[in-house]
Amino acid sequence: MPTDEGTIETLANQEYKWGFVTDIEADALPKGLNEDIVRAISKRKNEPDFMTQWRLKAYRHWLTMTEPKWPNVKYPEIDFQDVIYYSAPKAKKQLKSLDEVDPELLRTYEKLGVPLEEQKIFAGVAVDAVFDSVSVATTFKAKLAEMGVIFCSFSEAVQEHPELISKYLGSVVPYSDNFYATLNSAVFSDGSFCYVPKGVRCPMELSTYFRINAKNTGQFERTLIIADEGAYVSYLEGCTAPMRDENQLHAAVVELVALKGAQIKYSTVQNWYPGDKQGKGGIYNFVTKRGKCMESARISWTQVETGSAITWKYPSVILQGDNSIGEFYSVALTNHMQQADTGTKMIHIGKNTRSTVVSKGISAGKGQNTYRGLIKVLKNATNARNYTQCDSLLLGDKCGAHTFPYIEVRNTSSKAEHEASTSKIGEDQLFYCKQRGISLEDAVNMIINGFCKEVFRELPMEFAVEAQKLLGVSLEGSVG
Amino acid sequence: MAFVEINNLQAAVGGKPILKGIDLTINPGEVHAIMGPNGSGKSTLSSVLAGRETYTVTGGSVLFDGKDLLDLSPEERACEGLFMAFQYPVEIPGVTTSYFLMAAVNAIRKHHGQEELDAMDFLKMVKEKMALLEMDKTFLNRSVNE
Repeated sequence: MPTDEGTIETLANQEYKWGFVTDIEADALPKGLNEDIVRAISKRKNEPDFMTQWRLKAYRHWLTMTEPKWPNVKYPEIDFQDVIYYSAPKAKKQLKSLDEVDPELLRTYEKLGVPLEEQKIFAGVAVDAVFDSVSVATTFKAKLAEMGVIFCSFSEAVQEHPELISKYLGSVVPYSDNFYATLNSAVFSDGSFCYVPKGVRCPMELSTYFRINAKNTGQFERTLIIADEGAYVSYLEGCTAPMRDENQLHAAVVELVALKGAQIKYSTVQNWYPGDKQGKGGIYNFVTKRGKCMESARISWTQVETGSAITWKYPSVILQGDNSIGEFYSVALTNHMQQADTGTKMIHIGKNTRSTVVSKGISAGKGQNTYRGLIKVLKNATNARNYTQCDSLLLGDKCGAHTFPYIEVRNTSSKAEHEASTSKIGEDQLFYCKQRGISLEDAVNMIINGFCKEVFRELPMEFAVEAQKLLGVSLEGSVG
Repeated sequence: MAFVEINNLQAAVGGKPILKGIDLTINPGEVHAIMGPNGSGKSTLSSVLAGRETYTVTGGSVLFDGKDLLDLSPEERACEGLFMAFQYPVEIPGVTTSYFLMAAVNAIRKHHGQEELDAMDFLKMVKEKMALLEMDKTFLNRSVNE
């Protein structure tokens, strides 16, 4: 359809509008990594000894590891000595309230649409904002504290609640887990921490906003969420970065602990800078996310991945307790030169455990989209059930979709189902829409949103709207 | 004046000529049925009129309500009032019929400079029409042509 290409081009070539840089003084450690840097990070954060030791243990283990080569992505060798591992916006003095936060920083978040000032928050979302390496502000803290909910930056949690940190840190993703997670364990600078006490239903959505600003900086944040027995929490995560020619490294770890009967819903809209059309720049997103479910607990991951030059991410659930439930809903979009190798792992250990996986991959331009998933049912997981649905949508003929499902079942009473499909937006679908008066761009958006519907309906309302818009912007269709 | 005026219309698909000079005049209020054996070009004619890109017009002209139809994009032709009932309508998974119909109605309203309907007004209207036709309400939430 040569006549339509013009329209699709315009639709597609919208700029990455979060690509600005904030001019703010940063307090950064020198480039490179060694034991002194690890100690220095720990010292800057005024951490207790157990944390310093834990970091060092991770660092020493990391030295023995090699970068994984199995993902279906290509990128030049990363020089881990050329990365700044700690960068913090320089604060003039100790901050006591939001009024004292550097106004330049607040303006940045305002531009990003993060409503930090509490009076502006009407939607009832509590926000923790992480800028480069440190957490800048957490809103609604007092109100949450009334219910016993702890929601603060990771560093603060280390100071205020070391007993919870030492009990749960590394309990789901151990320091020795994998190359990037181990690196994160050694050098992570900040992140969010959340604890919801027994039987409490967290009254508002909790949200973290991540932003990489400084040049040559890696962002290594660590999130730990604990839902005590019978508790419920819904957590949102958003991310953006400035446009830079160099690739930036983002290696985060997220650990979720859902104790007996608890429920955690974790939603991500990932919009890191994807690089330009030639594939220059962009974020390398190497993330380890995992949750553990005790008896009758439930963890749901919902992710919309539209950014990053490379995405390497497998939000997983360990279904340890009987009758526990794990869910994974994902939309991953790759356009231009973007590459994504993403999926999930569901490990069934307890009896009557259930898992659902719905993955929607959209490839456009020269994007390469890989689904990689593991369903593992152990010997004692009687009556375990899994349902996996894995759909790919191709736009144009230069992109690719790949699927690597692994299913390991060691129990005869369990059942695993896998459904997969690959489709293209058909010329006949577009013509059908146009024949009803609908323009090409509206038709493409409509078809894509229809394709992603099962995932979008799992997102909280305001996130679902944002996700739909984001897909519209991120798409450069060479449709037809 | 004739509403539709087809003059010596010729069209090909993949370089192969299918329509070799069609003439047809339709006046307002008239109903025409075009009949013929398989492969004689009935579907091609309707596709060419609707503007399907896989067909190339190689000659002739079509006037539609005084406008040069062949000069318009498929969606403009639709907005001008040309409607094609598909022989094999295509499925659009995940898009509900009500959403699709609302998008179509509003695209056409916009084209005519009318205000677009919001979801409430649209549902009210579509429910009235469905009652008139005694159609099952569940159609609204079904995916397009599923």
